[in-house]
Amino acid sequence: MDTAVRLRTRTLTVIAQDPGVTDPTAPRGRRILRAGVEIPAEILDPGPGGYRVQVVDFDVSRNTSYKPCLIDPVDDPYARSTDRQLLRDPHFHCQNAYALVMRTLARFEFALGRRVSWGYHNHHLNVLPHAFADANAFYSPDDQALLFGYFPSRHGDHTVFTCLSHDVVVHETTHALLDGLRTRYTDPSSPDQGAFHEGFADVVALLSVFSLPSIVGRVIDLAEGAGGQEPQIRREAVTLEALRRSGLLGLAEELGDELSAVRGNPLRRSVDELWPPSPRPYREDSEFLEPHRRGEILVAAMMNAFLQTWTHRLHDLGEIRVGHLSRERVVEEGAQIADTLLTLAIRALDYTPPIHLEFGDYLSAMLTSDVAVRPDDSRYDLRTRLLKSFRAYGIEPSSSSGAGDEGMWEPAPTELSYSRTHFEPMRSEPDEVFRFIWENRGALEISEQVFSRVLSVRPSVRVGPDGFILKEVVAEHVQTLNLRAGELARYGIKRPADMPRDLEIRLHGGGTLIFDEYGRLRYHIHNDVLHPKRQSKRIQYLWENGFYRKDSAALREFSNLHRQRAAGLTLVPTQEEW
Amino acid sequence: MAASPRRITLRSYQVGFGDCFLLGFHYKRSSRFVLIDFGSTGRPRGAKATHMVSVAKDIAQTCGGKLHAVVATHRHKDHISGFARQPDGSGSGEVIAALNPDVVIQPWTEHPDAKPSARQAPRGISAAGRSFVGMLEDMHTVAAAVAAEASSMPATSRLARQLAFMGDTNLPNPAAVENLMTMGKERRYVHFGSSSGLRIPGVKVRVLGPPTLEQSETIASQRQRDESEFWHLMALAEGAHGLGSGRLFPRRYELTSPPGQRNRWLMDRVTKLRPRQLREIVRILDKALNNTSVILLFEAGDHRLLFPGDAQIENWTYALSKPAVRELLTEVTVYKVGHHGSMNATPKTLWNGFTRRSPDKNDPGRLETFISTLAGKHGSTQRDTEVPRRTLVKELSRMSNYHTTETVRPSVLFLETSFDLTVG
Repeated sequence: MDTAVRLRTRTLTVIAQDPGVTDPTAPRGRRILRAGVEIPAEILDPGPGGYRVQVVDFDVSRNTSYKPCLIDPVDDPYARSTDRQLLRDPHFHCQNAYALVMRTLARFEFALGRRVSWGYHNHHLNVLPHAFADANAFYSPDDQALLFGYFPSRHGDHTVFTCLSHDVVVHETTHALLDGLRTRYTDPSSPDQGAFHEGFADVVALLSVFSLPSIVGRVIDLAEGAGGQEPQIRREAVTLEALRRSGLLGLAEELGDELSAVRGNPLRRSVDELWPPSPRPYREDSEFLEPHRRGEILVAAMMNAFLQTWTHRLHDLGEIRVGHLSRERVVEEGAQIADTLLTLAIRALDYTPPIHLEFGDYLSAMLTSDVAVRPDDSRYDLRTRLLKSFRAYGIEPSSSSGAGDEGMWEPAPTELSYSRTHFEPMRSEPDEVFRFIWENRGALEISEQVFSRVLSVRPSVRVGPDGFILKEVVAEHVQTLNLRAGELARYGIKRPADMPRDLEIRLHGGGTLIFDEYGRLRYHIHNDVLHPKRQSKRIQYLWENGFYRKDSAALREFSNLHRQRAAGLTLVPTQEEW
Repeated sequence: MAASPRRITLRSYQVGFGDCFLLGFHYKRSSRFVLIDFGSTGRPRGAKATHMVSVAKDIAQTCGGKLHAVVATHRHKDHISGFARQPDGSGSGEVIAALNPDVVIQPWTEHPDAKPSARQAPRGISAAGRSFVGMLEDMHTVAAAVAAEASSMPATSRLARQLAFMGDTNLPNPAAVENLMTMGKERRYVHFGSSSGLRIPGVKVRVLGPPTLEQSETIASQRQRDESEFWHLMALAEGAHGLGSGRLFPRRYELTSPPGQRNRWLMDRVTKLRPRQLREIVRILDKALNNTSVILLFEAGDHRLLFPGDAQIENWTYALSKPAVRELLTEVTVYKVGHHGSMNATPKTLWNGFTRRSPDKNDPGRLETFISTLAGKHGSTQRDTEVPRRTLVKELSRMSNYHTTETVRPSVLFLETSFDLTVG
């Protein structure tokens, strides 16, 4: 059989972070830090065009199309290229974007144990690596595309290509994947939900970068000072404070240099600005009500949990000589922890409510989903560290269940009827899941007064702690209620003082059902459509921030979101407007 | 000269989409005139090309060849284009300069020494302030590139027209800026709480905006750094690539045959996406420049006249956070409607505080409101962003004596209102 057909995966060269992050010890002409990433193998069309990703090299600013890139089915064509070749060859740019998008997709599919769809009804995601001359890059669901801009460097001596930035490509791909997994997370809701898309995309991007050993090695070299690449490093160079100050922050400055114009520098923010966590509750601070600023709290909580876990592991690591650790082991630990945390972060999405997410929900989702597949956490103690780190930023888990570990979701009610439904169709058919919900609407606390719909039913297959296959079914349902503002009081929901009584309001709620391999409901993670306290708070926030205006949709477009974030725009209180 | 004016006149010139107000303080034997803004981005319908010169000549005649002051609230074309000189000396800017104003007032962001390239920062302007001014310069570069890119789009497109309008509004206007920097005896660059430099007997003038960066609590230092960085790189991007100048990659990489059918749908979509992106950029910078507007409050006898330029909520926030200022504003008798009546330049906190608002048309002390605007130029009715905003106009008409330049025929040039002052 042909080698190209037999391969399940292949390796392609990518720029490890962006061309600004270099390895001073590498030979001249090959200083840009690179990595070989493993991605699913496939027979590619020119573009490259694969089964999920199509690269289309069209530049709208110049109205120019570039010749599509042809990638050898087996060989890694840029494995030995010079820096100059990587920067000047648009075909490498296409390959770089393709490989990073595919790696991110594969990472999500691995964590979730199934194929993951984009947020629209098409199999392909279009990627335009040189879409326009602009300091911007974004996911456009209407165009089913990721668009990457380019712009001159500060000194005008070279062009900055956003498609060559690892974390920008992964960040945008994550938007597309999250949109497919939780389509309602772009709806107007709480400040947390508005921030989650940005914050989560940053978390995935940064952990994706830190799961590459070459990047972890660079962090250590920065912490260690000049030279680097020695087989041993000083223990003092890799303490929590030393890494934060000299290593991570150094990298944050490198990778944030010019690309901060695209969406700020989340690493710098999380490592520098939001550390140590202030005793003042960030989430109550008006500055952190803005989605792009608030997302940084999530990044800070996650990245600090990563750092604490890593340095704790290093604390227990044996010394190869007095006061010195093995560089290889330190790098390996860092990359492995980033990889484990990344899997955990993605897997948790299945355990989040389908709508109106708050950071505390996500924390409970992480703690619960991780126990299912990784009950023994003694190696990293990640769950405890996550809980501690989130709490330091004022985020408490949404579940205060006393069952199991702290912060985990409460188990589903046990008094449920399964007699009129069949598990096999429940693995894929929304109508069958809806029948189950209808039969159990009382126990599941679903109001009959509202419109209900099953959004998705997704079977998931993971490897359990005992090495056996763990099968779950994840189903999302949503509820909708249309009413006038004057009717809110009937449900105990407060109407903002200056909101007109005749304003049409649409309330949403919903839940995620997690069924185990026997078809029994394990968790029902839900936000009730008629929850007086949460809905009152949400409506007040949305009203104050202009989300009931006709032109509010533009506020939520990803292209504008990044621009608002980079330009430091603030939300304007609607009550002051006409 | 008498200690206090006996009468105040306010002339609202018909300049289409723009502002031009001549405020006259009349004493027993003399008068003093203050010109507040003089610009336009869209001539009134039916007006001749020489319309702005006609307006300038009328100002010259009215003030008897002498202006006490010129106020250029901010740098937008619709507020300063009339100050531009022409190479042949026939511009409206020459006419105004010849009126030899005693003082020219502009926001602190226009201080020539506040530019990042200046050797020495003026007193009261910090490094952050200079960085902010640098950012405004970058914004002009971006606006110029956007206007040029819009001009290459089909003129029939509504979006292209919007872009051309907004891009044009935000252009640097060097001819007007230079004239403002050199005309008259004294230049004042003001901020909240600073002295206006106006010397009008019996009239107290307060500067209520713009705040400096240090005053404005809404601008965090990190955000300010990000913002400056963002506009600097945007300016570079637009300057170097905005018009697609030069090649990005060697010619051998370019596709010479038409793209495949499969990609045409996408390419068509992305081509249409670009103007929307540009509109978002100019909206952001338009807002930033509006928020550099000078806000002036004139107090004379029992009258308080408020001129906020195009200040939007972000500019107003600082002044309105001061209880004493809020209290002062409750007694406003004449309000020049901010930003041509846009949705977010008359904060409701400000409007609701005006005690002279009244539904009674016969109320002698009823609030007087003045607006210079032209519908159909800015914003969209479908999106509730039209200028002037319908809901605001309705409220202004209901609760005040509402005067709009939209009712003034170009041949008439202006509408004038006179206020008698109680002489104590």
